Amino acid sequence: MRPERGLDPSVANREGAAAGLPAYVLRVPTGTYRSLNPFTKSVIALSSAIVAFGVRGWTGPLIVLALTAAIAAIAGVTRSLRRFVLATIPIVVSILLVNAFLYPGATDVLFTVGPFAATGTGVTVALQATLRVVAFALSVAVFSLTTATDDFLADLEHRGTGRRLTFVVGSAIGMIPAMASRATEIVEAQRARGLDTEGSIRRRIRGIVPLAGPMVFGALSEVEERTVALEARGFSAPARRTVMRILPDSGLQRALRWFVGLGSIVAVAASIAGRFPLP
Amino acid sequence: MAWLSRQFSTRVIVLIPIAIAINIVLGYTVQTILKLPIYLDSIGTILVGVLAGPIAGALTGILSNLIWQYAPVIGGGTIGPFAITAGVIGFLAGIWGQLGVYRSRPATGRQLILFSVVAAVLVVALVVPILGNPAYTNPDIGGYPDWVYTAAVVIAIVAAVAVAAFIYLRRDLAGFWVAIAGVVTGVAAAFVSAPIAAIAFGGVTGSGTDLLVAALRQGGSDVMSASLGQGLFSDPIDKTITSFVVFIILGGLSGRLLARFPLGERLVRDRAA
Repeated sequence: MRPERGLDPSVANREGAAAGLPAYVLRVPTGTYRSLNPFTKSVIALSSAIVAFGVRGWTGPLIVLALTAAIAAIAGVTRSLRRFVLATIPIVVSILLVNAFLYPGATDVLFTVGPFAATGTGVTVALQATLRVVAFALSVAVFSLTTATDDFLADLEHRGTGRRLTFVVGSAIGMIPAMASRATEIVEAQRARGLDTEGSIRRRIRGIVPLAGPMVFGALSEVEERTVALEARGFSAPARRTVMRILPDSGLQRALRWFVGLGSIVAVAASIAGRFPLP
Repeated sequence: MAWLSRQFSTRVIVLIPIAIAINIVLGYTVQTILKLPIYLDSIGTILVGVLAGPIAGALTGILSNLIWQYAPVIGGGTIGPFAITAGVIGFLAGIWGQLGVYRSRPATGRQLILFSVVAAVLVVALVVPILGNPAYTNPDIGGYPDWVYTAAVVIAIVAAVAVAAFIYLRRDLAGFWVAIAGVVTGVAAAFVSAPIAAIAFGGVTGSGTDLLVAALRQGGSDVMSASLGQGLFSDPIDKTITSFVVFIILGGLSGRLLARFPLGERLVRDRAA
């Protein structure tokens, strides 16, 4: 089972069919943003995260959110972002409740619910933290939705990242869906043998080893075979591997990367030093 | 350099992605299927640390959280910034591995009883300074509400009994060291996580443990000490359970398999089989 790639498979199939090649061989990035070099997209995502967390107040998160929304619209992934927004709901609810009602030292009461009083300071802090969290999550999500993992890794290796690191990251991402379906099988098998997933905390704690054991043992049994397979293919050879697929890059993109990367660091430094007091 | 490259043999390079997948999938499964208020998302990290060393462990932890944040399908949420915590957990696990903490130490008779009792006393003793920390008891700064205090004492006693029973029933002194490694890792994780939660997420983590943050704030703690108080409460419990799960798993693996990893020798030294 392959993980979902950044590109819509139907689009890839259409493009691939035109060239007479299957999608996994020829994955033509479509659209302006998708066809940027993966490294450029990763620098944009990382810089957005730095600004979202580093520039305090409203400005940082709002700028990142606006930028991310614009990129999502250009790349046509706005609909897929909904799932990532949903994933932030637990923490957002927690941030809003805990900070609005229980912000330490705040006295400017807005309204009260039972024994709890919502304060203006608390609500401000809560909304800013919510914006930061959502802006951060979405900037990473846009990167992940517009960039195929293997493109990103191929490009990193082309830029000099060691093959060990690209193997670790690529292999981990590829293994997660397989491991998840194995976890489902284990849970069902153990339930059939009487694993209690609904009982008291004590009973559920006893379920940890029956779930973790088979999963870990099963996964570790693959280590030996994979090691031999890699060694047989010269994985530990000293020479560098030649990257056959070089993704297009341009001077303009390089300039953009430097500008965005350095710009975000300068913005955060200036914000922390209090150089430009933003709302 | 030799120390570093020994940690990254091909076998370890193969183990790391598997460990990352275990972290993510098992963490997710435990939280959604067993619905326990613990994370249990560092079993793979600790496993790599113990088998390969501190740098390999730290790398596994950091990459786990970054991939969890990024990966298509399962990604999202807010786990990414906690990569620093995961790195520290993996690094500490590597140190435990080098010290041979997870090696089985069979014992009998008086020594066994002595260690069981000392372990139980120590577990309780470790909880006292956490509860007695002025950041929580000083009414000017904060202070636990009563139920948190009671819950902590109850959990400490249950943990002490569990650890003592583990040592005594398995006739293995390793349980003592495994518990200590778990608690120390948990306390370190709490100190690293608290500023991350406070700066990035308004002091909460989006899980059930946020109730504790709310309770501490209600008691008057500031943002930072409420997060720290929550961490010092849940992380040692989580990491001690993880530590024991890893120990049980290592005990179930053959010595032949373990000895092939860089630190494997330190796990099988006294093994008969």
